[in-house]
Amino acid sequence: MLAAGARATSPPVFPEPEGAHEQQAAEVAAVHGAANQAGRRSLQIARARFVRAYEVHTVDVRAIILVGGLGDSTAHENESFAGSLLATYDVLGKPAVVRVIERLKAQSINAISVISESPMAGSAKLPVAWTDAPAAQFWRIAENTFSDIAQAGAEAVLVIRMGGYSEFDVDDFLQRHLDGRAHVTRAVDPNGAPLEMFVINASRRNDAAYLFRHRLQQTRSLCGQWVSRGYHNPLAAARDLRALAVDGLLQRAQLKPAGMERRPGVWVARGARLDRRARVLAPAFIGAAARLHATAVVTRCGVVERHAEVDTGTVIEDATVLPYTYIGAGLDIAHAVAGGKKLLHLPRNVEVEIADPKLMDVRSQHAPLRALESAASLAAFLPVQIFRGLLATSQRKQPAELPVAVKTPSAIKTPAEVEASSEASSFANFAVARRYGDH
Amino acid sequence: METTRPVVVKRIPERLNLRQARAFCREIEPILISDRPQIVFDCSQVKQIDAAGVEMLLRCLAQVIKHDGDVKLAALSPEMAVILDMTRTERLFEIYDSSSDAVLSFSRFLPSALKQPAMFIKPAVPSGTDPGPESSEAASEPGEDATAEAAA
Repeated sequence: MLAAGARATSPPVFPEPEGAHEQQAAEVAAVHGAANQAGRRSLQIARARFVRAYEVHTVDVRAIILVGGLGDSTAHENESFAGSLLATYDVLGKPAVVRVIERLKAQSINAISVISESPMAGSAKLPVAWTDAPAAQFWRIAENTFSDIAQAGAEAVLVIRMGGYSEFDVDDFLQRHLDGRAHVTRAVDPNGAPLEMFVINASRRNDAAYLFRHRLQQTRSLCGQWVSRGYHNPLAAARDLRALAVDGLLQRAQLKPAGMERRPGVWVARGARLDRRARVLAPAFIGAAARLHATAVVTRCGVVERHAEVDTGTVIEDATVLPYTYIGAGLDIAHAVAGGKKLLHLPRNVEVEIADPKLMDVRSQHAPLRALESAASLAAFLPVQIFRGLLATSQRKQPAELPVAVKTPSAIKTPAEVEASSEASSFANFAVARRYGDH
Repeated sequence: METTRPVVVKRIPERLNLRQARAFCREIEPILISDRPQIVFDCSQVKQIDAAGVEMLLRCLAQVIKHDGDVKLAALSPEMAVILDMTRTERLFEIYDSSSDAVLSFSRFLPSALKQPAMFIKPAVPSGTDPGPESSEAASEPGEDATAEAAA
């Protein structure tokens, strides 16, 4: 299978002998003119003084996206939250890994293999070869995938580990790789810090194997470098997930919320159920099939991802509610990431496990199970209320005797008793006022 | 003016779920119904607290206020601070960094010992990360509240 490869310009193909410039220029000009006449066949460019001929041809580029690969890291920033890798969590409606796949496809890289340590719901529907790999086999599978891709005829392989979310120009990266004539080219950020993105010549399997065996930390030989000037988020901790969502809402990154902009800055995805009394203040995002109960408030870059539910009176302020998370009534979720029975409070940098389902719970990812849960809670509602009504004693006790203050009639109801003497004095004052007035 | 009435410091258990909360409530019942009780809850060991635990704290506060006393919280663990913040109950209590500060506060005015809510603390931003404009806004807004609170 041939990928609809990324176009790249190869280095000069034709030699440039001394003294042959004018002749070559004439030839090139002739070809150029003929090509213009024929239309869309121009492959060469002639310059005024120095004649350099370039050939534009198609390079078969394929991509491997590695999701995870840190192994059993117990480090604080282990690229996961509540048991799942950050790259597989929704950010404004779509997982970061899906956003990277879409960006690659938009840049003509269609053959993409994803190797993920953490399974993702809906990965089967993606137009990529998705492999769920256990941590122990992760890098071995990556190596084998590279070999398979090389055997299938790829010329260059783009390897991205997520890890971080990057917005970069694939064509520019490939061009740098071809121009540099390196076996491996690594992306670095503008400060020179290495990113986990590589272009590897498909024929250099040993270089690739060495790189994979060292978890993308070492190259076998000196590698080329390409400076990525696009947006980059390391996605090392849940804090970064929140930062990515904020950057998306504030349009610092190119990722767009996957929904319709109902009002300026308020994005609502399909199937979201918002109570009439719920308030959503821009910028904010409400994901697909998410639910906001009455008087719930989402504000200051608040994000409620798909199938999440925010109960009555709860405020989501500068916080992200991850998919399938239920947030109880009357709570204040501020500066936090909530999901999977865990809440990360960003200013305190504390991750708290919340076991109480009244405060926070996880909804099933399977629609039939969710429907069953709803039906069960509905069926249980009436018996529970009847039971409570039977057992509960009346809480409202009338006091035996009302206090004197309560019994006293209101002062408004009693007619005003104006004394004659006071009336006379008030008129006297009035007369004085009139005497010294302007009129 | 110094008071001679005793201040009771009670350490809250590590887990405060429904069962533990009931047991704790039973334990401190005599103190709650005493005349003008002065109670400090040391929360340094709390690792897990649920809605029942928060409700227990509120019930204690209500009971103590009825008897013209006060309950203060001291040495909040981060977990408990997050839960109190989340359930909007931290604003109902006076919170101190340590039990000794909380005890002293019953006899004298200690405005500087009052623990600032964590929202006012500037988040630790990793190096090379732009905190963004909204974080500065978040830091400036609560500062005004803090001033107002101190003035009050």
